[in-house]
Amino acid sequence: MFTFVVLIIQILAVFLLAAHLAAFCVWVERKGSALIQDRIGANRAGAFIYTENILPDAVVVWLRKAGLFKLVEILMFPVLAFVRINGVLGVINTLVCDAVKAILKEDFVPSGTSQFVHSLAPFMAVLPVFLAFAVIPFSPDFVIFGETIRTQVAPLNVGVLFILGMASIAVYGVTIAGWCGNNKFALLGSLRTCAQMISYELALGITLVSMILTFGTVDLYQMVVQQSSGLWGVLLQPISFVIFFASGMAETKRAPFDLPEAESELVAGYFTEYSGMKFLLFWLGEFAEIALLALLISVIFLGGWHMPGLDLVLGAIRSWSADGVLSWALAPGSWVYALIGFSILMAKTLFLCVLQIVIRWTLPRFRFDQLMTLGWKMLLPISMVNLLITAFIKLI
Amino acid sequence: MQTLFIILALISVLSALGVVLFAHPLYSAFCLILNMFTIAGYFAMLEAHFLAAAQIIVYAGAIMVLVVFVIMLLSLGAEERWAPNILITVFAAIGAAAFIRISLPIMSGLQDTLGKTSSSSIGANVVVGDVTSLGRQLFTEQLFAFELASVLITAAIVGAVMLAKRHHSALSSSQSLKHNVSMGNE
Repeated sequence: MFTFVVLIIQILAVFLLAAHLAAFCVWVERKGSALIQDRIGANRAGAFIYTENILPDAVVVWLRKAGLFKLVEILMFPVLAFVRINGVLGVINTLVCDAVKAILKEDFVPSGTSQFVHSLAPFMAVLPVFLAFAVIPFSPDFVIFGETIRTQVAPLNVGVLFILGMASIAVYGVTIAGWCGNNKFALLGSLRTCAQMISYELALGITLVSMILTFGTVDLYQMVVQQSSGLWGVLLQPISFVIFFASGMAETKRAPFDLPEAESELVAGYFTEYSGMKFLLFWLGEFAEIALLALLISVIFLGGWHMPGLDLVLGAIRSWSADGVLSWALAPGSWVYALIGFSILMAKTLFLCVLQIVIRWTLPRFRFDQLMTLGWKMLLPISMVNLLITAFIKLI
Repeated sequence: MQTLFIILALISVLSALGVVLFAHPLYSAFCLILNMFTIAGYFAMLEAHFLAAAQIIVYAGAIMVLVVFVIMLLSLGAEERWAPNILITVFAAIGAAAFIRISLPIMSGLQDTLGKTSSSSIGANVVVGDVTSLGRQLFTEQLFAFELASVLITAAIVGAVMLAKRHHSALSSSQSLKHNVSMGNE
């Protein structure tokens, strides 16, 4: 029963985390792109909310007459100040207003296609991405109520392969979306997606195989444990890191790899015929992919929840506090220690999310033949040679 | 576990029927994808996690994507149905009868062995699906068959490239070559 409850909590927590990371990426995309392009960006919605704006006029007049208005204003100040700060930062515009707008918009289904398939496609695009979060370990093991808990929803013994499988399933949603748009631009977009994702999946898979060889395990948790010495994956396999990052970005279908939705050529690519919430689901899936890639890179290449020197600092604090609460809290196995590890992992993840968005707004789009050349003639052969060298080094 | 298996079996039989019965090739392809997922589900239920993942990556992920890709590229519509020829019907009936005749003893035999195996012996098999034991098996005892299979696949890739080159030498060959290479590598 206890394990069941823990599992349910974990599933909910990981789902919410994935959704929030995606939301964070949306916000960074909107506001960060504005910074990069020397604009101000979203800063209006919610920035001018005062007490008299949200209460009905009659109530305001009555409060003013009774002399209570000042009191109400002071009471509501913390909430409204929070809202106004978020408004100026564009959080309300990007995360609240856009979502509400998408929900209220007309759900348009083009004629000549199956409504069922048209509705199925966005879910098929989003579901695999969220499923892939299930095998990612988020923090070191910790003990609570006498039970050891691993913060990984599905501790499969094929961890990395599960992610590869989900990545290959994610192609369907996009492909079908383009097909059932009954629109030539959408179809072109989805054909491009298909070719691009299959091409870059190979380089991605072979890089992962060389990482499996390096660590001698397919379990992501064990990979992180093996990096505890400070010898991170990026130091052991710098070439793999670059290839994994590049082909991972190609899998997320974003600039410079955004040919499937090249707005100057294909209107909006595969989701041209989608509106409202279905359109937003594609968007959400894309940003969840960014977050997933960032998490994967932090776990496989950047040492997960490890930070060089952190154990030394924690050890020093523990020996200073002797038998105090701190010595329990900062020992491996306590939930505080796990929380520290989780925050370190999240810091790396958020940094990589921002890095990807900066790359997206910095580099121009590839031409399609350049894209294929990069995938088939550069990344794939290099990753294969890298795999051979890795296997050779492992052998001797 | 029994209930899960029955649900999975029901889905896989229905989706297999759907592959044949749907008029539109894309719906047939969807059914095939679903069918491959249920097969991965069987592997997962037998604790063969690696095979389940490989099933999804290779079949559901790679091969079926290409099938869907081709269906969309040729923009095939729903197939036209016509009244079956009497000769075809007779042959189909004979084929179906032969298949049932062959498969019935196998299925009943399977049921016997399943009935005989106790739960403890099933538990002992758990290690088989592990990546390590599977790899060890493949690269020691089955090494010859494994290498033969890889030679066969390489020959198929070379053959596919040759065929594509001969037919489309006038066309821009890069597109067809790329397509074939991607097919071969799956």
